[in-house]
Amino acid sequence: MNPIDNQLDRLFRAAAQVKPTPVSAPAFGFETRALAAWRAARSTDEGIWDVALLVRGLILGSLIMAVSFWPVLVSNQSTTVTASNPFADYLQLTDSTVPTDVAP
Amino acid sequence: MTDAEVLECLARGREGDEKAILELFHYMYPHVTKLVQANLPARESAEDLVQQVCVKVMSHLDQFSGKVPFLHWVSRIAVNTCLNQIRHEKRRPEVRLADLSEEEANVVEHLAASPEELDASDQVASKELVDKLLASLRPDDRLLMRLMYLEGHQIDEISSLTGWNKSLIKIRTFRARAQLRQRYNLLMKENP
Repeated sequence: MNPIDNQLDRLFRAAAQVKPTPVSAPAFGFETRALAAWRAARSTDEGIWDVALLVRGLILGSLIMAVSFWPVLVSNQSTTVTASNPFADYLQLTDSTVPTDVAP
Repeated sequence: MTDAEVLECLARGREGDEKAILELFHYMYPHVTKLVQANLPARESAEDLVQQVCVKVMSHLDQFSGKVPFLHWVSRIAVNTCLNQIRHEKRRPEVRLADLSEEEANVVEHLAASPEELDASDQVASKELVDKLLASLRPDDRLLMRLMYLEGHQIDEISSLTGWNKSLIKIRTFRARAQLRQRYNLLMKENP
C-alpha cells in the first residue's frame, strides 16, 4: 500500500474514534419555533394550492368563452367576405353613380 | 416509539394534528441532530439546519411511502439538506501546515515517523485535521468521505442515504481519495 494511503487510513481510523457530541433535549423554544415554521409552510402550501386552482379556473373559463364565441366569430367573418365581394362592390358603385334624381 | 405508533402518528400528522406532529418531532429530533452535527457545513448553525430538516419532514409527510422505515426516510432528507447547504459554500480552503494547531502538526509528524496507530490522546486532533482536509474537497466528495471513512457506512447504505448509484459512489470515492492524497502529500512536503 502507498505510504500516504496508509497514513491517511490511520488518520481516519483515529478520527473515527472520537465520540460524537451527545444529543441533548431541544433548546427552550425550539419546539415552538419548529411548529410555527411547520404551520407557516402548511399555510403557504395551501396558498399555492389556491393560486393553482385560480389559474386553472381562469384557463378553463377562457376556453369556454372561446368555444362559445367561436360560431359568432365565424359567422361575422363570412358576412365580411360577402361584403368585400367585388361583385357586390361593383353593384354598390353602379348604384351610387346612377342618377336617380329626375331633373325638373 | 414502535413502528405501529409511528404509522399512527404519521396518519394523524397528515391530517394536520399538531399533537401527532409534535410526537414525530420528538421522535426524530435526536436522529436528525446527530446527522446534522456529523455533516455540519462550516459556519452553519446546527440548530437552524435541524429545524430546516424537521420542518421539511413534517410538511411532506404525505410523500412518505412507507416502503422504508420512517427514520431512514428522515436520514435521507437530512443528508440531502446538509449537502445542499455545503454546496452553497463557495470557499474551499487549502490546508497549509502553518494553519494547523500544534497538536494537528504533531499528528502529521507521528503519522510520517511511525507505522503504529495513533494514540488515544491524538484522536481529537486527528478529527480536527480530517475536518480541515475534508473541507478542501468538493461538497459531494466531502460527504462521501465522511460517510465512508468516519461513520463507517457501506456503499449500499450510502447509496440509500444519498440516492446515488453504487458505480457513481465508487468513482467519487476513488476521485476524492486521490484528491485527499494529493492534499495530504502537500502537507507532508511542508513538514520539515
